[in-house]
Amino acid sequence: MISDVDGAPLVGRGEMLAAARSTLAGTGPGQPTAVFLTGESGVGKSRLLREIGFELREAGALLLTGACLDIGDASPLHPLRQALRRLDAELTTRPTHASAALRGLLEMFADQAGSLDGAGALLEQVSHGLHLIAGGQRLVLVLDDLQWADRSTRQLLLYLLAGLGDLHLSVLAAVRAESLQGAHPLRRMLTELRRLRTVRVLDLAPLNRADTEQLAAAVAGAALSTTAAEQLWRRSGGNPFVVEELARDLRDGRDGLSDTVREIFLARVEVLPPDAHAVVHAVAVGVEPVEHWLLAKVVRLPDDELIDAVREAVAHRLLVGADEGYRLRHRLVAEVLEEEMLPVERAALHQRYAQALTGAHAELHQARLAYHWRLAGEPVRALPAAMAAAEEAERLHGYVEAHRHWSTAVQLAEVPSVGATADRVMLLERTAEAAHHCGEHARALTLLAEVADADAAQPTCGLSIRRARYLAAAGRSALAEVEYQRALAAADCTPRERATITAHLAELLLHLGRYADAGARAREALELADAVAGSTSEVVLASAALGFSEAFREDPEAGLAVVRRALDTAERSGRPEDVACAYLHLAELLTGPLNTLEEGVVVARRGAERVAELGLGRTYETRLLAIAINGLFRVGQWAEAEKVAAAALRHRPSGADAVEVLLARCRLSVGYGDIEAADRDLDAVATLCAGGGARHVIPLLTLRAGLAMWQGRHDLARKAVQRGLTESRSDDLVILAALIWHGLRAEAEAHASRSIPVDETAVRRLRAAADRVARRAGTAARPVRSVVEAFLALCAGEVSRIDGSDPELWARSVTEWDRRNHPYPATYSRLRQAEALLARRSRSAKAGKLLRQAYQAALGLGAVPLTAEIRTVAGRARVSLAERDATADRPTSSAPVGGGELAALTAREREVLAAVAEGLTNKEIGQRLFISERTIGVHVSHIFDKLQVRTRVQASAILLRNQPPDVR
Amino acid sequence: MSDVVWGFVHRDVVDLLADRPVDVPAVVDHLTKLQDLLDRRSPSKDGCPLAVFNRLYLTITERVLEGLYEGSFADVVFLSRLDVEFAARYFDALRLWTDSSSRCPKAWSCLFQRMEGPDVRPLPSAAAGINAHINYDLPFALVTTFDSLESELVDGSDQHADYLKINDIFAAEIPSLRRGYLDHWQLVIDLLNGNIDDWYQGELVEYVRDVAWRNAKKIWRCRNDRAAHEQERLRLENHAELLGRLLLSPLGAYLQ
Repeated sequence: MISDVDGAPLVGRGEMLAAARSTLAGTGPGQPTAVFLTGESGVGKSRLLREIGFELREAGALLLTGACLDIGDASPLHPLRQALRRLDAELTTRPTHASAALRGLLEMFADQAGSLDGAGALLEQVSHGLHLIAGGQRLVLVLDDLQWADRSTRQLLLYLLAGLGDLHLSVLAAVRAESLQGAHPLRRMLTELRRLRTVRVLDLAPLNRADTEQLAAAVAGAALSTTAAEQLWRRSGGNPFVVEELARDLRDGRDGLSDTVREIFLARVEVLPPDAHAVVHAVAVGVEPVEHWLLAKVVRLPDDELIDAVREAVAHRLLVGADEGYRLRHRLVAEVLEEEMLPVERAALHQRYAQALTGAHAELHQARLAYHWRLAGEPVRALPAAMAAAEEAERLHGYVEAHRHWSTAVQLAEVPSVGATADRVMLLERTAEAAHHCGEHARALTLLAEVADADAAQPTCGLSIRRARYLAAAGRSALAEVEYQRALAAADCTPRERATITAHLAELLLHLGRYADAGARAREALELADAVAGSTSEVVLASAALGFSEAFREDPEAGLAVVRRALDTAERSGRPEDVACAYLHLAELLTGPLNTLEEGVVVARRGAERVAELGLGRTYETRLLAIAINGLFRVGQWAEAEKVAAAALRHRPSGADAVEVLLARCRLSVGYGDIEAADRDLDAVATLCAGGGARHVIPLLTLRAGLAMWQGRHDLARKAVQRGLTESRSDDLVILAALIWHGLRAEAEAHASRSIPVDETAVRRLRAAADRVARRAGTAARPVRSVVEAFLALCAGEVSRIDGSDPELWARSVTEWDRRNHPYPATYSRLRQAEALLARRSRSAKAGKLLRQAYQAALGLGAVPLTAEIRTVAGRARVSLAERDATADRPTSSAPVGGGELAALTAREREVLAAVAEGLTNKEIGQRLFISERTIGVHVSHIFDKLQVRTRVQASAILLRNQPPDVR
Repeated sequence: MSDVVWGFVHRDVVDLLADRPVDVPAVVDHLTKLQDLLDRRSPSKDGCPLAVFNRLYLTITERVLEGLYEGSFADVVFLSRLDVEFAARYFDALRLWTDSSSRCPKAWSCLFQRMEGPDVRPLPSAAAGINAHINYDLPFALVTTFDSLESELVDGSDQHADYLKINDIFAAEIPSLRRGYLDHWQLVIDLLNGNIDDWYQGELVEYVRDVAWRNAKKIWRCRNDRAAHEQERLRLENHAELLGRLLLSPLGAYLQ
């Protein structure tokens, strides 16, 4: 087989190579890196990909090489599947464990994908497959022409780059700069990714004059004359591809008048013998790479003559051959040739391709068939292929691709000759549904209108329900409400539909903040559902709406009872999803508006287990665990929260689920002061958000600010908050209040540490924002108001730090957070209260007590930076942090007590254990350590787990055995 | 090969453009720094057409930022993304011009070319910049913003209302640039927002401000169809270039 050789040396790219190398060198397991090369056609992106790829392969990496296609969103994840097939072909020569894994993954694409629950599961399967294929080796994914990537491929890239796949992976991709003009989705994605330390976007510029001459000389075999060099520089504009071709013409003494790539290649095509001529034209029309057998059928030449013709075309540097088929030497060539052909010539070639493909199965079979038949002007034959391609794409959750194929099918069906054979209404409905799934809600609604026009016999209720669903998904809640009402009024509305609509309506009203209406609708829905057998989903949905509306209207117990009952109903008669939803609603209700965190955590964890049993691990279990982590964080059980986070991430969640868990874990890392881990999670979240979705931006920025403050980078914290303030939706008061607090805290801390001058404008804006939040909280639901007020108490405290500390404000904050049972902000407030008291040189005894209390609590949490700050303040004020009780003081030393059997215990757990050994009850220990009795119970059970004992006496024995003699 | 594009501040401009702002405060910061550089480069006020445009754009973006802080927009997420995307296109054009790239949008390059022009008139210069930015950049910025927010363009939505508010800011800021030419400016705004075709059809008088919005809707529909998208892009580019050249021609002088 004839292959392409890079004859010319690589010139003028030393810096680029070095930059790419240094970025890629940072790759580690679970720490992916990526290099994106952008530049115009012919600037040498693919060449650099090959160069870097080769180096990495030499260094022992496993390369997966694929290219995206320009025939539209042909098929989900096409470049990856192509890369896998290529690797499969390579591995046949040396079968390894990787082959089996690879085949497995390819088979998954071929048949089983339909059974996966959603696009997220597909990503996870792919990453798992890649993990097996890599078998611990470093994996490099090389993707050319990324500007043509389908949405699924872009999502996969982000998923892998977020490090969720736990792979040792690098991504190397080339993007045509031209396509980044306009509204290309990669534009935005690259802007976001550019900011990550693990990603490098390299813009390849044309060569400069010196490099141009060097390259030309290398190709021509001798230095160019001054005039020739001048001419070549002027004509090529430093584009390496053009330089190379012009220099080659110069060397071979061909006429040097051609000024553009177009002319260069047209001149070459002209001199080809007829057979070779036919070959390049055929390849130009086909979908690259064009397989040998396919080319033979299209050009209709006997094998010997075909091979000769191919050789000729390769010799003229128009064609390139590889194992999998032929392609034109450069996309530029294909573009030149396509323009040159007459429409009838093109149509005839498409016809031949379609015929040849009809008889034999090839890669991208249906998509290619549809493409060729359509361009051959045969809509009747293109239609079934387009439909098959659409269904294939839906099977892999590639709704963008499916939508494109369905749209093509609708267009094809509009041709009069096809009209009679096609079921237009069905096509419109499928297209609408695909459009809805890929977020094209306006298009989905337009299509639905066409359905109604095309078929007057369509059930009006059903259509209204769909319209309402699309409207609600598009965030147009008011219109969706009207549409649901219309559905209810429709004559053909069945009791079942009535129950469904009413339940959805209740949910919608809840989102609109009309709690009373939502409650009334939910009750109505529950009654309707009672009368219809098998409507558990409706019961669950309506109960949740009722539960939340009651909680917001200050009758939490009634709401809670309804949701609990819904869980029972779901367990008795529902589908697994119903059970999962019921658990989710219950856990959200408890940890959210009701703020009964311990119970909420228990429910979330029990639910997670139950849901896993039911086989819904990936999505629902992850969501429930995220709730548990956040609850555990707030009640101060960080070690436990960490464990749960690790468990949740083992499921390799994707999308919003992954973001939730990562943010929760990051919150812990910020609390612990683990800067590196926090940074990594924040980058992962930023990567996942680069694909779209703005919901998580504010929590992300709040955490960035919190992290920056521990690092003393108040300027960065200020910037993060400023961004957040200009991008936060005003309706999420809690998130906004937390952000404002971070902003004021950054200014207060800048003021205290004199790191940067306080930004008066920023303070003014933050205070105005806090005032707005306070005003709006006045009309918010009681539970929301309560959290917001606690944050506003912190804000008031921070403001007072800037203009003269007021201990009373901090005391209020302590009370607020204690009341909510959130030890971390309560501890922080105690520190500030003590600081303020000390600053007034009054009541130092109270300050000392507060500091000691804060110190113990911070130690118990494991909040390293906060502990350090308490220590600093105490040191300055000469306050001793040591308790009178020696055993309680012991664990504060940095060296682990006794090591050995006690090493696994946290500082807090050692304190509890010491008290247990004294024979105190949980209640007594709780009083001594200023934490709730229930929390002590949890600590004790952890201690038992870790020491593997079952009684208090056994635990005490271990403590005594491990204590240094002086304490004993 | 192009060390002279920005004269003695060239290095500073290149360094500034190497960083890409991702939020509105950073955009304002960027525009401010760029203004300093442009003013240093040609100290005579109104001497550089780009400086004139940049000053106007900076003022407008500051107003937008203030509005964001004050909560005067309904959908802040949308508006800040749009503002960043919008500005990114201006910085892209500057970057491409700096690299002497042939890909620099023609609507912009016709203004950049005049940087050293002998007969610079500030008003038409600023108008040419606004033309490139609104008639060419804005529709694409809108599409990218909606795409990344997984939402879409709906007439009468919160986003549409916010978008129109930006137009009000433009309208409010432009006359203050040069008092006394308000009527002319009103005409320019209408002209800029009208399509050449529309203009001939007499739609100009109808005071249509959201042509960019309508163009964005056109692009939105074909954003997944590369050929159609490119065709639409070229149409807008040619239109904006034509208008830009018109404004910078002696004809534009009547605005002074």
